[in-house]
Amino acid sequence: MHQVEATVNGATRRAEVSPETTLLSTLRDSWGLTGSKLGCDVGDCGACTVLVDGLSVNSCLLLAVQVNGREVVTIEGLGGFEYLHRLQTAFERLSSFQCGFCAPGMIISAKALLDENPAPTEPEIREALAGNLCRCTGYTKVIDAITEICRDRAVAVEAPA
Amino acid sequence: MVRSFEYVVPGSLDEALETMKEHAPHLKPLAGGTDLLVELKNNLNGPQVVMDLSGLPELRGVEETSAGLRIGAMVTHTEIEKDPLIAEHVPAMMAAAATIGGVQTRNMGTIGGNLVTAVPSLDSGPVLLALDAQVTVAAAGGKRQLPLTEFFVGPRQTALAPDELLVDILIPTVMLGRRASFRKFGLRKGQALALVNAAASVAVEGGRIAEARIALGAVSPTVIRAMSAERVVTGKQINDADALREAAEVAVTEAQPIDDFRASAAYRRELIAVGTFRVLEEALAQTTAA
Ligand SMILES: Cc1cc2nc3c(=O)[nH]c(=O)nc-3n(C[C@H](O)[C@H](O)[C@H](O)COP(=O)(O)OP(=O)(O)OC[C@H]3O[C@@H](n4cnc5c(N)ncnc54)[C@H](O)[C@@H]3O)c2cc1C
Repeated sequence: MHQVEATVNGATRRAEVSPETTLLSTLRDSWGLTGSKLGCDVGDCGACTVLVDGLSVNSCLLLAVQVNGREVVTIEGLGGFEYLHRLQTAFERLSSFQCGFCAPGMIISAKALLDENPAPTEPEIREALAGNLCRCTGYTKVIDAITEICRDRAVAVEAPA
Repeated sequence: MVRSFEYVVPGSLDEALETMKEHAPHLKPLAGGTDLLVELKNNLNGPQVVMDLSGLPELRGVEETSAGLRIGAMVTHTEIEKDPLIAEHVPAMMAAAATIGGVQTRNMGTIGGNLVTAVPSLDSGPVLLALDAQVTVAAAGGKRQLPLTEFFVGPRQTALAPDELLVDILIPTVMLGRRASFRKFGLRKGQALALVNAAASVAVEGGRIAEARIALGAVSPTVIRAMSAERVVTGKQINDADALREAAEVAVTEAQPIDDFRASAAYRRELIAVGTFRVLEEALAQTTAA
């Protein structure tokens, strides 16, 4: 068994894991963070996307031992019952959730994009989400939500404070 | 469910090579894990030891040396997309890296893992082959360098011995700044394996093609050079479209595409011709623009 200690959504978390345990199962089963979903389990669908040291990765393809000492952000780290991240609010407002299974991964990928590029073009948004599949095929509303945020942001940047 | 294994993280190349010597062939190196984790999940007879390469500074970074541009095996596809030296000297590598998987896969996946997995459709293969890339491999006994053409042995087979690590990739100095182009054809735009991918590099002297390299992926057991097609265009005027068309036809005869669930061999042959023509045309357009 290996000891893993990582900063998860700002708090230190520890777990004792066997080496083959994925980060995804540790998040879900050891730490109760079930927002990240187990979809395909082979990196195709993106439902398990989290940020590790700021980069989006598929947590089903990462061993828990690999994040020892690193910083992990999951959908729970963006917002919860008391406070929603503006991406979550936009998804809610535009009905971008259908069954909702892909949404946590979509939102994390969108956050990774906006952290790096606050004003992406629509092709850039689509490219950034290429690794996130929606089995309801509800892509249009997802793109709409992210585009709307960027528009708000562009207005906010232009308007003098 | 994955069979359990011992997990080790060596802190230096020497330590890693000693570990390999001790445990090969029951050890697998772990780079980004985007191929290895999938393999571990599918394979009941997995390795006894998984050795994480993330602690080895010798496998990182991109730098100019007297021999050329050295790219560490652990450099990720995302790093290649953003690296200033690669942008300056071998921008076609960025184009190829940008087509690999989705962002999540590019953030984790490394160029070394891509080459060692050695699937015929690997997207970093064609550009590297068109630029005469060399690879450095190391074992506890020492290092050796070999051309990438000799590294690829068959589908998912390389010249690496079980106790050898891929250390870095070298683009020789003469190839830096050489005009080169990459194209990938898949079933969808994002995150799709190549049905066919192609790269070309050209050197131009006095309005003629002095040297050409054409490389094709997903059409043979390994990524290949289309050398007969290269000979067709060598010596031709850079605006000789007939020569490019002829090279495209010849390239088709140099490949052995197969029928599979993604595409028919006949469709792949069409793509080889189109791809060969376009990469040559695009590489030549860069030459005249400069
Ligand atoms: C969803 C998805 C989409 C993908 N799309 C593409 C695509 O479009 N194009 C493409 O080409 N590939 C694609 N891949 C495959 C894969 O992502 C790439 O091949 C990637 O570059 C592998 O690198 P890695 O660092 O993750 O390798 P790993 O999985 O860590 O390793 C792969 C193999 O190489 C060995 N290895 C790794 N590094 C070394 C080294 N330095 N020395 C010796 N052995 C080593 C490992 O032991 C293992 O056998 C995709 C994968 C996924 C999951």
